Amino acid sequence: MKMRRLCTFLLAVLQLLLPLVLTGCWDSVELNRRAIVSGVAIDRGEGEKEKYVVSFQVIVAEEISGKNTRGISPVVLYTGKGRTMFEALANASRQTARFLSLGHVRVLVISEKLAREGIKDMLDVLERESDTRLTSLIFVAKGQPASELMSTMTVFSKIPANDLVEKLETTSKQFGYNFRMEVDDVIRGIQLRGGGPVINGVFTDGSREKADSNDNFKTIVPHAILKVSELAAFKDDKLKGWIKGDAALGTVLLHNKIKEYPVVISHPQGGYIAFNVYQSQVRLTVAAKDPEHPVFTVKISQQVSIKENANELNLISPATVVDLSSHVIKDTTRKIKDAIDTARKYNSDYLGFGEAMERENPQGWKKVMKHWEDIFADCEYKIEADAVIRHTDMRSNSFQVNP
Amino acid sequence: MDTKRRTGRQLKSADSAGSGSRAPRLSEVLAESIENIQGELGYSPDLKVRKVEIGVENPVQAAALHLSGLADKTSVNEFVVGSLLLNTDGWAQEYEDSSPDLPALLLSRILEVGEAEVQEDWNDIMLAVLSGDTAILIDGYTLAIICETRGGETRSVEESSSQMVVRGPKDGFVESVGTNVSLIRRRIRSSKLRLEFMKLGTETKTHVAMMYMKEIANEDLVEEVRERLNRIANEEVLESGYLEELIQDKTFTPFPTIYNTERPDVVAGNLLEGRVVVIVDGTPFVLILPAVFTQFFQSAEDYAQRFDIAILMRIVRYVSFIVLLLGPSVYIAFTTYHYEMIPTTLLINLLSQRENVPFPAFVEALLMEGAFEILREAGVRMPRAIGQTVSVVGALILGSAVVEAGIITPIMVIVIALTGIASFAIPAYNMAIAGRIIRFAFLLLAGMFGFYGITLGLIVLVAHMNSLRSFGLPYLSPFVPLSVMDQKDTILRLPVWLMEPGQSPQQIRAEMPEFKQVTSGHESELAPLIKKNENRGKQPKGEGEAK
Repeated sequence: MKMRRLCTFLLAVLQLLLPLVLTGCWDSVELNRRAIVSGVAIDRGEGEKEKYVVSFQVIVAEEISGKNTRGISPVVLYTGKGRTMFEALANASRQTARFLSLGHVRVLVISEKLAREGIKDMLDVLERESDTRLTSLIFVAKGQPASELMSTMTVFSKIPANDLVEKLETTSKQFGYNFRMEVDDVIRGIQLRGGGPVINGVFTDGSREKADSNDNFKTIVPHAILKVSELAAFKDDKLKGWIKGDAALGTVLLHNKIKEYPVVISHPQGGYIAFNVYQSQVRLTVAAKDPEHPVFTVKISQQVSIKENANELNLISPATVVDLSSHVIKDTTRKIKDAIDTARKYNSDYLGFGEAMERENPQGWKKVMKHWEDIFADCEYKIEADAVIRHTDMRSNSFQVNP
Repeated sequence: MDTKRRTGRQLKSADSAGSGSRAPRLSEVLAESIENIQGELGYSPDLKVRKVEIGVENPVQAAALHLSGLADKTSVNEFVVGSLLLNTDGWAQEYEDSSPDLPALLLSRILEVGEAEVQEDWNDIMLAVLSGDTAILIDGYTLAIICETRGGETRSVEESSSQMVVRGPKDGFVESVGTNVSLIRRRIRSSKLRLEFMKLGTETKTHVAMMYMKEIANEDLVEEVRERLNRIANEEVLESGYLEELIQDKTFTPFPTIYNTERPDVVAGNLLEGRVVVIVDGTPFVLILPAVFTQFFQSAEDYAQRFDIAILMRIVRYVSFIVLLLGPSVYIAFTTYHYEMIPTTLLINLLSQRENVPFPAFVEALLMEGAFEILREAGVRMPRAIGQTVSVVGALILGSAVVEAGIITPIMVIVIALTGIASFAIPAYNMAIAGRIIRFAFLLLAGMFGFYGITLGLIVLVAHMNSLRSFGLPYLSPFVPLSVMDQKDTILRLPVWLMEPGQSPQQIRAEMPEFKQVTSGHESELAPLIKKNENRGKQPKGEGEAK
């Protein structure tokens, strides 16, 4: 009895162990069989058969943190062509010694040409494929092939894609004209009725001649620099144009993605005064009883500090400060107005007015969503801006004020 | 096979009884009796026979027998032999007048030892002599007077080497059951503290003491422990580990279901919580039962230090148990299945490390784990002088040489080292080795199925732990079944005044089930699970009154 039970037990254990020998490890891939892709560039090829020209920036890890480096480039670029994205990926494997692994793609760059043609077909694979992540950042290569962006050496990160990500993060924190736009945001933007996504632009400044080798930064001034540029405005999935300057900042404000941005006003008493807006909160509300004639209200409240005040203004007096804040309010109002005007110019509601409308009056939205473009083009809107100057940083009055 | 073994044992015992009835018995002739005892012990040279004459006018032959080394020489000399020789004058007359039985007179008037009794049974006499007592044989009587003279060399009370504390009592148990009992008694001066002695092991006749607090410990529990102990029919009980295996609820589990300790303060605390303690002569390790999972993560120091620090340390211990279980397997799963979950910068680092390593990560992990286990095993039994060498060689060879040779990645060395250190952070050694065994299963699962396998393994592990009982107490209580009021001394260690004295943290009194099926764990190899308690949650009467 005892023996039999023991035998059964041992048999069961044996049976559990057998599959180990039989199956191997089905989808395990050792790290040294992987080629980690850091960035992907997507260009429009010639004709239908090579619609997508996809370039993969692959990390050469040993070159980046290994002990014995060969002095080769820290990344390599492989290109595949195909009718679909997946075909292009498979096609690229002819050149790669290892499995192209898309789990760490941080940047996707789409060429302007493809963006103008429409990007919705290529986005599906990004959602469907289990490896790719929806938090990759999307860029549009402004006026040049996307693959060029992926083949530009950068100084501060050995991986150009990472450098680009860091650049975007830095500028969105300090300058405010750009903000993080991930694959997920883009896909949701495309689904906005009457609107579209806003995508950061990127381009290389300087000569491209030595851009893709270490020679690029052998001089103090690099030959070519990756630069984050204006915002690309989309209508549905097609690029319509670029948003610049105040309009771009207003757009970021309306998306509520701003962290900090500088404001410069020219003061009647002479000189420029620079402010740092370090907090701004936007609320978009709508009175939409009549869906055909909605009235939008943009409420914005900001907190500001004075960063530069090269004149003799008496900043100790509350009246002066209040007066200064009214300048900031004016500036903010103008930027938002600019943003809305630009959106109307491109006939695309990428600012999310339609969304606000749908939230306020879902029934009404259903009636007007078909011709939302028309309503958006001439609906009423009010801007209620408010700004408070919280402090003047390390000084009160400038040293130019004589006691 | 089972029946065969059992009949074998019965035959054996019948044999010994038969032989007892045949030859060696106490005889009315003193010389014969002495001869019999010497014969029984194979004329062992350490059996000392001291022949004396009692009385002057009508001297009676007598002999005191003891085993040198086991008996306390001073007691034998002064109180047994000395008293027999000294007082022969005064009472001789009395003896001759009344002619009563001599042994009674010896007991009542002569012998100066604290404990003495008349014993007629041959086996008992032999056991007494073998335990270090002195037997006085008197010519003309078929009995012996057993004088308590146990003594001999024992280790003195020292700090326990297996469970050290920074703050807390520094005394530890020793190999003598008497000393151990006294160490406990010294801490609990309560009349409720009960002590029961039994002799276990058919050959070793080991002294085993069972202690519990009357009215605090559940009576069913005490009865159950007593019964399981009494069922033991092994030849030998040399360590409390023998008993543990014979009385535990389940054999085929890596988890210990009985706690052991070298510390009297831990035992005292557990007694007051209503647990039963089993002390085995010959080992400083004392069993505490029932034991639940959380108990193995408690240290005596928790109660000596501030409660907030105690909580932090407990969390560290639980975390290190998780690290011990899952450290290498998570690394394997990450690198071979879920590379996308590793932060990019770290991944690049790992990639460059793995570039020229010949083995898959799984094999790498197995190699290193194996090497680590070898090192540890070598280090445990090393003489202290060589121990230094082992650690130096281990650290050098495994730490840097292996990495420099490009056989193992540096990160793997880090993972294994962390796992190894984590295993030392668990206060109970037997829980740490449980973790070490299970770790290999997880390694295998991670190598085959990645996190999917690890998740499945965890589910099975938790299910298994839920199936465990320690003397009827669910192993995972008070987490499963959840009892919010009993969380005071689990991961948390609330301030002492918050832990009401009337409530035992592990719910022992409230949760003790009725024992329906019991085994010693010895008769059949798989001790059946104790039936679930139907009255769980009901407060027994005693506790209600106590409040």
